[in-house]
Amino acid sequence: MVFQTQQAVRAAILLFFTVLIFKFHYTGEITKFINPKYIGLSQIASVLFLILFFIQITRIWEKKTHHHHHDHECSHNHDCDHNHDHGNTPMTLKKVISYVIIAFPLVTGFTIPAKVLDSSIAEKKGGMAVITGKSEKPSPSTDESANEEVAQPSDTEVLPNPYGEITQEEMNSLVQKLKQSDPIDMDDYVYYLNYEEISKDVASFKGKEITLKGFVYKEDGFQSDQLVISRFLITHCVADASIIGFLTQFEEAATLEKDTWVEATGILDVTTYNGTEMPFIKITDWKTIEQPSEPYLFPLNVRIL
Amino acid sequence: MNRIVRTNLFDITGLILLAAAFLLLSLKLDVGDVLPSSFLNLNTIFLSILIEAFPFVLIGVLIAGVIQIFVTEEHIQRWIPQSRTKAIIMSCIVGALFPACECGIVPIVRRLVAKGVPLYAAIGFMLTGPLINPIVIASTYMAFGNNAAIAGWRMGLGFAVALIVAFLVSFFFRGHQFKEALVSTQTLSASRKKEPFTKRFFSMLTHSIDEFFDMAKFLIFGAFLAAAVQTYMPAKSLLEAGDGPFSSIAVMMGLAYVLSLCSEADAFIGSSFNSIFPTPSVLAFLIFGPMIDLKNTLMMLSVFRAKFVFSVLFFVATTVFLSIVLVQSFL
Repeated sequence: MVFQTQQAVRAAILLFFTVLIFKFHYTGEITKFINPKYIGLSQIASVLFLILFFIQITRIWEKKTHHHHHDHECSHNHDCDHNHDHGNTPMTLKKVISYVIIAFPLVTGFTIPAKVLDSSIAEKKGGMAVITGKSEKPSPSTDESANEEVAQPSDTEVLPNPYGEITQEEMNSLVQKLKQSDPIDMDDYVYYLNYEEISKDVASFKGKEITLKGFVYKEDGFQSDQLVISRFLITHCVADASIIGFLTQFEEAATLEKDTWVEATGILDVTTYNGTEMPFIKITDWKTIEQPSEPYLFPLNVRIL
Repeated sequence: MNRIVRTNLFDITGLILLAAAFLLLSLKLDVGDVLPSSFLNLNTIFLSILIEAFPFVLIGVLIAGVIQIFVTEEHIQRWIPQSRTKAIIMSCIVGALFPACECGIVPIVRRLVAKGVPLYAAIGFMLTGPLINPIVIASTYMAFGNNAAIAGWRMGLGFAVALIVAFLVSFFFRGHQFKEALVSTQTLSASRKKEPFTKRFFSMLTHSIDEFFDMAKFLIFGAFLAAAVQTYMPAKSLLEAGDGPFSSIAVMMGLAYVLSLCSEADAFIGSSFNSIFPTPSVLAFLIFGPMIDLKNTLMMLSVFRAKFVFSVLFFVATTVFLSIVLVQSFL
């Protein structure tokens, strides 16, 4: 029985990945990384790592000391057209480096807490250019969905089924509900849907009262009484976060620091920013709030088939 | 005493490792305060890419293990058409039907090539696998305001690009193009077939583990680079660079490459650029990203010769660019 250091290192890495993913799920930190819709998938990964770990521990103690090389003849029970590293060859500096690279996310994962993305990332992701970009082109599907809605009773309550799929009708009735409501409440569940609808046709929402929350984002070129109340939309994981938000105006805006979370109420209006028409909120009432436990928004999943 | 230790060696090692894991869990290590917040952002994005990629990578290496152990060269020779054209078309269709993600596809492609699948067919499969599948179609459809046009163009044009690149590869490259270190001259021994199923299943799993460790360092390094780009490179400077119709296509392709997004998730990012850039450029982003990106290039470099990887990158980039230029008047 000979102890195979490399196999042991591999077993440890597999186990620690299992534990790391388990930890993120257990502490709830996982929603700071991925859309909750994919939680099941990531749990599968954790289980697969665990299974591979159990397979791997059987390789830590090899019966004989054969270091088999790649041009070795096919005498033992290993597969023969192996053209990759089995982890039995001696440790070299190159291998040490690759294990260090593989262990790196384990070290940072266990020691550095997950951070909620802040306005500096919003800026790197294009900031206002992306926010204004959203409102320029009306989508061709607007009219079509408006027609369907007439037949739909508008008061159909859609059961908020976070992370689940909704049907096209349910979505249409959500849109319809938005069009009839005043004041508009930008609830997290429908935030992105409402945001898209309002951006598509700002004029028809002009004058309505709106309540929303988000973090403060500012950019060069804003007037001192302007700021964006913004959110991140996560499709799959925070790497694909995109910034959305409303340009707002109120006197005390200058006193608010970037990344402060606020809840605000105001009147929707239209403005032009860098030549683009976009929604704009004149804030009437606001307060700072704690960062919500679920700071990110997730798009609704509409069933297509 | 000695014998007891020896017979229970596996359990003991396992227990020691488990104990270490629980120790890690219970420790409240926290060095978050001493690090700059930009690094915390970077780390979060880095880990999220990995958490997102792991299920697909693990499924990918398991499939690679299955191919390694249960598929023989004779099977491959029977399945793949002899004619090059037919083989390429078939591989692209199989890729389109196969719901893969770009993180998981490299190990599968490697195993296929090792088993004697012609390189061009494997590349065709690699390019259509992540791009054309139900999840990608659905997310693209939704991200562009329930408009089927973009999703349709993405699939159609993507398929054409994959065919062209596969043909280019078949003209310019022979053999498997594996890195020197990975070249093996042996073929599957006949004895393997006689082994009992459980043994083969076990070696399938150990192969999957080895495959995972081959890929993981490249995946992790690529994820870190992609996260660093997101944290430190302002998109604004890129946006300003993409003023003209041609440069905007190039810029969006560059963005798709460095962001290394999952093909199932890039549609919403693409749509957020829809009004800053003309639609053809966004389409270029949507087609190029799933086919090849920073993370994927690194994973390919772990398997294939650098010259081959960069040639494929060049073929894909030029084909996507030119085909977008050609069709942009229809968009």
